[in-house]
Amino acid sequence: MRDRRTVHPMAWIVWATSAGFVAFVTTDPVYLFLLWAVSWFVYASHRVDADHARSFRLFLTGATVAVALRTGLVFFGTVSAANTTFSFLEGLRLGTILVIFGTFNAVTDPFGLVRMAPRHLHEPALAAALALSIAPRTVAGVGRVREAQRMRGIRVHGARALPALAVPVLERGMEEAHTLAESMDARGHGAGPRSRYRPQPWTPAAVLIAVAAIVAAATFLAASAGGWAVLHPQTSPITWPEADPLLLVAIGLLAAPGFVRRTRP
Amino acid sequence: MRTVAATVLPRPVAAALALVAALIPVTVPAVTGATPACAAATGPHAALVIDTGAGAHPFCVALDATSVSGIHLIELAGAQDHLAYGFGSGGQAVCRLAGVGPQGDDCFADYPDYWGYWHGDGRGGWTWSSSGAASTRVGDGALDAWVWGSGDSGATHPKPPSLGIDDVCVPATATPAPPPPATRSTPPPPSSGVRPSASPSSAGSSRPSTARPATPSTAGPVTAAPSERGSPTVAAFAAAQGPPPSGGPGPGLLVALVLGMALAGGGWLRLRSARRGRSIG
Repeated sequence: MRDRRTVHPMAWIVWATSAGFVAFVTTDPVYLFLLWAVSWFVYASHRVDADHARSFRLFLTGATVAVALRTGLVFFGTVSAANTTFSFLEGLRLGTILVIFGTFNAVTDPFGLVRMAPRHLHEPALAAALALSIAPRTVAGVGRVREAQRMRGIRVHGARALPALAVPVLERGMEEAHTLAESMDARGHGAGPRSRYRPQPWTPAAVLIAVAAIVAAATFLAASAGGWAVLHPQTSPITWPEADPLLLVAIGLLAAPGFVRRTRP
Repeated sequence: MRTVAATVLPRPVAAALALVAALIPVTVPAVTGATPACAAATGPHAALVIDTGAGAHPFCVALDATSVSGIHLIELAGAQDHLAYGFGSGGQAVCRLAGVGPQGDDCFADYPDYWGYWHGDGRGGWTWSSSGAASTRVGDGALDAWVWGSGDSGATHPKPPSLGIDDVCVPATATPAPPPPATRSTPPPPSSGVRPSASPSSAGSSRPSTARPATPSTAGPVTAAPSERGSPTVAAFAAAQGPPPSGGPGPGLLVALVLGMALAGGGWLRLRSARRGRSIG
């Protein structure tokens, strides 16, 4: 299942952290919407399988809801063009971070990440991997349980079908977590010498992805600290957002994973 | 509470509402332009003094309510006398006045320099404002001043020049002819930096790619006196700003649009080819 030519998980961590940092330091809709496009492109080029595709859609929906809710909060107070736009941009920033996280979830195998953790950090890393993978695993679980119910002629719609759906999904999730923990213990993780079975190599592609992402984040950091580009467009009165050429290039660098050839197993 | 939640909760409706609400402010000011200058020469007036460090400029602003917020006073000065301004933090903080101050939403981007906020006592004295301009109330005959400079408190921040309300807003009971220059147009002490008609926008124009006065572009060069109670320095100051250039989208936005479309289209092609490859193989 694991392709030796896939990108090193650490490169994905660097990519996601850098992209998330870029989204964190700006409320300029130009850069944020470009990050959505970059995430979509990277996801389309590197998604692992169909279950992860569903989890990406889940994060995409969540991001849209986050933007709508953050903007909707304005209606509880004084509504003005300025603070509606301001709230929308803040929500868009949150949504962008969610989309980037969804992409990260869709292109990596969370349990591959556990293998990289230092031995004394094994247990926190396992917990983190389980937490990271909860969305794709739950989505996949719901799909499987519903399919099984449909085959047995059980009604799968409506609120009353919810307990019948939730119980097997939760049980299955618990079981999977147990199986994973047991299998990792059995392979000597967490105790004894570290297993180095089939270590993931740092391919040139992975290095390229990581370096490009770091350069992109550093460019935004410099813009944020140096103040040579507007990262938070003025909303009162509303002006057209700026698009600095250098920062556009930086966002383009985050799309580097999409240009890396991924050989299918 | 419940009814609002009910209107917010259906997701597609809320999303559509939010989108429309977000788009309205983008399009409306571009279409309608500035609100017409307040024609009322009587009624409540307040003074607004803008000190860019290169010169102080008083505005006599007609209020549209018995009292307005300090932020709204600036908006009124923008509508009536074409004062260029820019607010940050969603319209809560003052970033830019008369072309001076940081671009964008972060009003402390040029720290330690920032816009200090002062209240006048009406007789030439000034006190440091203890609250933000969005929460202060400005009534008839009040004075507000904004001074560009450094210093975290009223003790260290540069003070505005000594001006009373009658120095800025000539009382309506006065003769229609301009009052004698001794009362008004004489700058109090030359050392305080009052300069009636210099080029205050020079600090703003040092950023060629981003300098853009915030007022909408309906106003040509200011020829008529803004209001009967206004002072000539206001007209001179507004003229010194020049007609604001039309604030359209920059070329960077077009590049960004093309880049975004290319990425979205590329992703779609990738997915389609992956699906086709799977169905064949």
